[in-house]
Order: sequence, then structure tokens, then C-alpha cells
Amino acid sequence: MTGDGGAVDGAAEGLAEFRTDLDAWLDGHTDALAPGFEGAGTLDQQMAQLAKVKRLVFDAGWMRSGWPQRVGGLGGSTLTRAYLGEALTARDLVEPGLYSMTEVLAPTMIDYAAPELAAAMVPALLRGDETWCQGFSEPDAGSNLAALACRAERTDAGWRVTGQKVWTSLAQYAQRCVLLTRSGPPEAAHRGITALFVDMDSPGITVRPIGTMHGSPEFSELFFDGVVVPFDRMLGEEGGGWAVAMDLLPFERSTSLWHRAAFLHRRLQELLETAPPGAIDPYRLGEATQLLYAFRARSRATQHRMAEGDRLGPETSIDKVLLATAEQTVFDLIADALVAEVTMGDDPVSGRWRTEYLYSRAASIYGGSAEIQRNIIARRLLDLGDDR
Amino acid sequence: MDPGDVTLFERSLGDATRRATGADLDAALDDLGWPDALIDDPQVAVSLLFRLQGESGATSSSLGRVMAHALGLADGSTTVLPAVGGCAPPGTVDDGWLRVDGLAPATLPDRPTALVVASTIGGATSACTVATASLDLHPVAGLDPDIGLLRVNGEIETVGSQVDVPAGPWPAAVALGRRAVAHELIGASRTMLDLACDHARGRIQFDRPIASFQAVRHRLAEALVAVAMAEAMLEAAWLDPTPDTSAMAKAVAGRQAKTTARHCQQVLAGIGFTVEHPFHRYVRRTLVLDALLGTAASLTTALGVELVDQRRLPPLLPL
Ligand SMILES: Cc1cc2nc3c(=O)[nH]c(=O)nc-3n(C[C@H](O)[C@H](O)[C@H](O)COP(=O)(O)OP(=O)(O)OC[C@H]3O[C@@H](n4cnc5c(N)ncnc54)[C@H](O)[C@@H]3O)c2cc1C
Repeated sequence: MTGDGGAVDGAAEGLAEFRTDLDAWLDGHTDALAPGFEGAGTLDQQMAQLAKVKRLVFDAGWMRSGWPQRVGGLGGSTLTRAYLGEALTARDLVEPGLYSMTEVLAPTMIDYAAPELAAAMVPALLRGDETWCQGFSEPDAGSNLAALACRAERTDAGWRVTGQKVWTSLAQYAQRCVLLTRSGPPEAAHRGITALFVDMDSPGITVRPIGTMHGSPEFSELFFDGVVVPFDRMLGEEGGGWAVAMDLLPFERSTSLWHRAAFLHRRLQELLETAPPGAIDPYRLGEATQLLYAFRARSRATQHRMAEGDRLGPETSIDKVLLATAEQTVFDLIADALVAEVTMGDDPVSGRWRTEYLYSRAASIYGGSAEIQRNIIARRLLDLGDDR
Repeated sequence: MDPGDVTLFERSLGDATRRATGADLDAALDDLGWPDALIDDPQVAVSLLFRLQGESGATSSSLGRVMAHALGLADGSTTVLPAVGGCAPPGTVDDGWLRVDGLAPATLPDRPTALVVASTIGGATSACTVATASLDLHPVAGLDPDIGLLRVNGEIETVGSQVDVPAGPWPAAVALGRRAVAHELIGASRTMLDLACDHARGRIQFDRPIASFQAVRHRLAEALVAVAMAEAMLEAAWLDPTPDTSAMAKAVAGRQAKTTARHCQQVLAGIGFTVEHPFHRYVRRTLVLDALLGTAASLTTALGVELVDQRRLPPLLPL
């Protein structure tokens, strides 16, 4: 019934071959890829592991598949890079949240940076030589992103940036930042925003890590004090930063979360293997499994749309709501079934359950809160008009 | 079928399900070549018809035909469906007697025979052709009399007479039937959501359309998420059409239909509680559809029990 023609069949074939070859390669390199720590590890350990794995899979060519040649990729279907993320997560080789950043920031660079800039920078992110961060949220601009106030002023030397960002994931590790700044008057709201690609070692940047509930200090406060950013570091047009953000967020809400299904599948499987007899409520297990499989199905369809060249948009808010629902349901079940481990266990595996349970609470906050997703669904997908 | 043909077929089926129901819809489906489509491209035939039936509220005897098709018994006879809430074969054969407890479309009396799939004491399944006249048929009134079902009971001596049409595996028939009912649940959910959104845009309170209130918007958004989730799960069940995935798709569609009904009912409020508004028909329909071939609640518990027992999750749908 599909009649989609050769392109899709070709992509499916390419994917099958990629899958077989990658699986064989991963199986042949287990020692080199394995993390050198038990349980979740510290954030430093996780970051080092991520960099190690990315370098190995980049140098072997896997990490380059599905990315355009002009940024150091090998071309081919984007499905292959989705499979790579899934394969690494399913084997517990990378922390899935940290891995996501590549799938959020690289597509934005490819679409909005000047071609020479993208060609120079993206390979370092793919290879794990660099970490990048996303400086959107500010103390007074969370859900209402268009209220952001971090100033960028034109000078002869370039943009001069002064202001603050907050909850910027991995900023303390990052060499670069995709930064939203206010270049126009505050009244211009979303029309006065400019996106910049900033070197984190620029003079005038202060990074202060913030402790988090789940014990892994994943994000930081960022202070900019007269930081100069060259004009060729602009992403998109002056005043066009809102378009950059609006095109980035669908990736953050869908394709970058794809491999979380593989992660949740692994954890649910581990629960089945380790839970004491009678600890799992069958109905809740059945429901959690259904939610996970439904999220996976939705997420798979989105991956295939991207692979066929569709532009991702507001419909990805549904993907995000499904992820948050599935992830929190799975970890609610885990926390009840493994109550002793999660509340009082002091071994590394208990620590990991605890950290991951707590992190699942953020799934309905990051990338736009559950309420913001519902606002988008109501306005953009259900056509319910304005909310006032 | 190529995409152009699918679109045309969908349009014709849409007209038919809006104009006709029951025996008339069966006749219209025959005219449109739906039984041939079921053989040539079961996914297209099943997904289009059942979604459209769900959207319009029409009924037909197609569920029985779909299950007969999966059993390899595509001779146009009507298959007796499992009794309410269940998925076991509607017949049991014991000591020369066939006992029947199931459901059938209201058009069964027009047919001389019915097909009854039966389990035997040894655990095998067989299919028996029985004379319609030998069965007790009672219209099901209940929550949704418009669904046009009959309760079918009977005790028939099998010796020497109607025996053993060779049958394909019953679980495959249940799986296909579940995907069909899931489409119908989703179609009905879509209509509930359309009715509620239309109402929300048009109904003015406090000098504003109620669609401008966030509490209302979030309920409707929640309903769309529910429907989209059921659609995604069902699409996956067609990609990997096993009994497990089909049961999940049916369970998700049933649960999400109730979620959709709950939110839409609240938005429609007073008018939605009257029989002057079509909403109540869809509430009734989805509750009864949930009870066909296993409720969401029972399928979900059964899945959990099986997983706890085996300690192994089924693999994820491959990319
Ligand atoms: C783990 C984690 C990692 C993060 N990483 C990054 C990052 O790398 N870069 C970055 O820029 N940001 C990051 N964030 C920040 C994140 O994007 C914001 O927390 C999020 O957008 C919500 O903003 P807020 O926290 O200011 O909440 P607020 O906007 O103050 O919202 C508080 C509550 O009010 C509700 N609310 C607000 N507005 C509305 C509305 N219009 N309608 C209904 N309800 C509303 C919200 O849903 C929420 O429940 C991260 C956050 C977390 C938790």
C-alpha cells in the first residue's frame, strides 16, 4: 500500500545493513567501549565515557553516518544515526540524556550557521572532542522564552553580550554555546532575538554549576559580562533567533529523545530480572509497557518522517508528552517495586536507580514543560484559537 | 493498492458509512468490493472501514468477516464472535456436543449458516458450520442497542453432521479482530474530539469562547495526545502484527477512548449529557467496543502477568 518508491526501500535496506554491521562492531569492541565504573558513575565519569565512545564510533565511521558530508558526515539516511544512539543506549554505553545534546544542537548548526562555520565546528561535536550547550533559559524567562533579556549590542568588534542564563545543561564542560540573546528592544518580544554561537573560553564568561535533585550537577548558571562574539558567529539572521529556537525545539522534543525508549526498555527489563517476587503490580507493569511501546511507535514514525525530509514542527509536542508520561510511569513502577533499593540502598546500582528515578521527574519540565506542550497542542494542532 | 486508489476507496467507504448501517452497509460494502480488498490488502480494507465506522457510528457484519478471513475461511459466512469481555472461541466441543456462547451481527438470521470456532477438550480448535436455525438469538440491548449485536447461544449435537472446517490459528484471528476494533475505537474517539472542539470554539461564556480557557484547552490537548498514542501503537501493530502487539493496540485504544470520552464529556457539559447531541452515542459505542475481544483492563493485566511470569519484555519495534 505504501508505494513510496525506491528511496524509502533503499533507506530501509541501508539501515538493515548498518544495523548488522554496527551490532557486530559493537560486539567486537566491548572492552574498548565499556565504562570503567559501576552504576551511574559521577557526571565527570559519564562525560569522559561519552567522549570516549563518541570518538571510537566516529573514528570507525558509525557516528558520521546520517550527517551531511559538508559537516564531516558520510551522508545517508538519518535513520542510521538514530539506530546508533539506540544501540549505544541499549548497551548502557552512554548516559542517554547527555547523548541527546548532539541530536539537538548539530541539526541547528547545519541549518543556521554559515557553511564554513558548520563545517569547521560540527565534526568536533560528533567526534566527542567538544561539548556544546544550549543557552536559552534565564532566571526570568523559562516557559516564556520570548521574555529573554540577555543583551547583545552591535559594536565594531562584533556582538557584545551581557546578561545571564540558567539551567544550561553541561555548560561547565562546554567549549561552545548556542545562545539566544536580545538584540532588539524588549517590546519587540520574539522579533528582537538573535542566536549566537559562542566560544565558552571567551573573556567575560563565568560558569557556576548548580546542584541538582538527582545528584548529578548537570547544569550551570552562566554570566556574560561584555563578552565579544564575532559577527560570523551569528546563527540565522539578526533578529531571526526566534526562528532558530522554533526549529531547534522540535528536535529537542522528539528525535533527540528517540533512544530513551531503548533506555527505558533496558531498565524495565532489569526490573523484571531483579524485582523480588510479588513486588510488581501486574496491571501497572502492563500499562507501563504499553506506554513505552506507544511512545516508541510515535517516536519511530517521527524518525521516518525526518528521514523522508519532512520538517518537524508542533506535532512533536505530542512526542514529548508521550515520553514524559512513559518515563515517569516506568520509574514510578520501579520506585515502588524496588522500594528498598531506591530509598535506602547504598550500592552503586541502587544509586543509579535513585538517580534515574529522580531524573525522570524532569521529563515533564525540560524542553518545554508539560503545560507548554499542551498549550502548543491546543493552539497549533487543535486550532482552538488564542487563549485569551 | 496505490495511494490514489486508497484515497478513492476511502472516499467511497466514507460515503457508505455515512449513508448506511447494518444490512444496508453490508450490501454497500459488497458493491464497493470491500470483501475483495480484504483479501488483497487486509491492512487497507480493515483500517479504512473500521476507522470510518467508528467516526460515523455505523455498524456492519465486517468484524465477523475479518476474523473469518484470518482463519482462512473467506467464504463469506458470518463468524460468531466471542462472548462479551472475552477472547476465547465462542464454541466448545465436548462429547459430541457443540456449546455456543457468543455474539453475532444482527444480520445473522438472514444467513442460512454461521461459523462457530470451537475449542475441544484436547485444546485444539476447530470450526463448525451450523444452521442458523439451530441457534438461540437474542438482540443485545444494553448500553448501545444501535451496535446491532445478537447474543448467540446453542447446544448442538455434532455427531455426523456439521463438523470441522479446517481452521487457521485462532489467536491470529483474534489479533486481526483486535486491530479492527482498535481502529473503530480510534475513529469514535476522533469524532468525540471533533465534537468537543467544535463546541469549545462556538460556546461563549464570560464573553469568551470556552476554547480560550486553559482548563478546557488542556483537556482537549490531553484527548488528542490519547488518540495520537493509540494511533501510533496501532500502526506499530500493523508493522509487527503479532498477537502481543495487537493486544497492546486494542488495550491502548480502549483506554484512550475512555480518556477521550472523559475530557470531551466535561467540555461538552450539559449539552453533551442530552440525547439531542450525538456525543452520547460515541460514549456508548466505545464502552461496548472496549468489551469486545478483551477489555483494556483485562488485556493490560494479562500482559503484566505474562511479563512477570516470563521475566522478559518483548523486543521493541525495530526502527
Ligand atoms: C534537567 C533540566 C535541564 C535543562 N537544561 C536546559 C538547557 O540545557 N538549556 C536551557 O536553556 N534550559 C534548560 N532547562 C530549563 C527548562 O527549559 C525550563 O526549566 C523550562 O522551560 C521551564 O521553565 P521554568 O523552570 O522557568 O518554569 P516556569 O516557566 O516558571 O514554569 C513554572 C510552572 O508554571 C507553568 N507555566 C508557566 N507558564 C505557563 C503557561 N503559559 N500555561 C500553563 N502553565 C504555565 C509551567 O508549566 C510550570 O509548571 C533545563 C531544565 C531541567 C529541569
